[in-house]
Amino acid sequence: MTVQTDLVIVGGGPAGLSAAIYAARFRLDTVVVAQEPGGTLAKTHLVENWPGEKSISGADLMSKILEHAESSGAKIEYDLVKSAEKKGAVFSCELDSGEKIESKAIILATGSKPRKLGAPGEDEFFGKGVSYCAVCDGMFFKDKTVAVLGGSDSAAKAAIYLADIAKEVYVIYRREKIRAEPINLERLESKKNVTIITKTNVTGIMGENLVKSLKLDNKYKGSDSLSVDGVFVEIGHEPQSELARELGAKLSENGEVITGPHGKTNIDGLFCAGDLCAGSFKQAITAAAAGANAADSVYSFLSGNEVKTSL
Amino acid sequence: MEVTLYHSPTCPYCKMAKDMLDKSGIKYKSVDVSASKKVAEGMIEKSGQMGVPVIFFGEEKVIGFDASSIEAGIKLAKKESK
Repeated sequence: MTVQTDLVIVGGGPAGLSAAIYAARFRLDTVVVAQEPGGTLAKTHLVENWPGEKSISGADLMSKILEHAESSGAKIEYDLVKSAEKKGAVFSCELDSGEKIESKAIILATGSKPRKLGAPGEDEFFGKGVSYCAVCDGMFFKDKTVAVLGGSDSAAKAAIYLADIAKEVYVIYRREKIRAEPINLERLESKKNVTIITKTNVTGIMGENLVKSLKLDNKYKGSDSLSVDGVFVEIGHEPQSELARELGAKLSENGEVITGPHGKTNIDGLFCAGDLCAGSFKQAITAAAAGANAADSVYSFLSGNEVKTSL
Repeated sequence: MEVTLYHSPTCPYCKMAKDMLDKSGIKYKSVDVSASKKVAEGMIEKSGQMGVPVIFFGEEKVIGFDASSIEAGIKLAKKESK
């Protein structure tokens, strides 16, 4: 089956859904294709920097945004865009379900996916002690020992969340200092059951049916093995830029899409919003704003009022 | 066919899985693994998994939010209930 529409938005996080809200207001015929609603935001324990919400879980905030988008009239399909191409002025997206959508414009808001550690045992023990989502799987480690790998703000937040569930939490980071937001660093350091191990890499994840220990490249308390029941990998994200690449968008060295004003890419009719954009501040609030801007750009593009730029 | 969803209240993927099951209209049992350590351990023993959501469609197990596998499980459950 082939569906024809004005705009396809790929991605269901704050960028994609904000774009959908604005596109609905611009009366653009729009289909949002998302593998899952929420993206990275949904996996965030607490969001405390979204205006109007002093403190809200990422999942609750995403539910509100999703409900808002749906009530605005956004059509959301939970599916994967397997491939995309542009022929003449028409974009064609092929979905995993076999459906095809042809559109005059696309907004890519596919965000990023968790970066894998790449250590032996990581894939084998995924779901058996290896996790990329503390709020999803944390409760399995009640009164157990877990490690959080990474030194970012996300890693600190995961460790803070887990410290209230697990008996003991190790934060293992390859560099010298954790680089979380000061407020989260203070919270982390105030947790009595959190131990921070710096200048150390995890080089292997061992176990039998479930995770039992980590191999360290730097001895901790005289041993290069650390007993844990679970390990949460929080070492950053990688842009999901496969579709952007297929469509010929200019990418930065680390694979993010280079955009001009309001999410415009080097391909006519192709726009980008959110964490996928090069140089963006990876926050829900900036992603939502970028989604609104991209929808506005699409509206101008389809009305023939687009501002020409070098991109 | 017995359908069981293992979930936790903080897990966004569980909510999505639950929404799919609710929309389908099939009857299913909902188990909150955060309710107690015993419930969580019971799930680990049954599924070999330390992550949610996990859905059992009879003996068939769907791990994580895998929309197409959940759809297939729902179809199977509907077929069997006829």
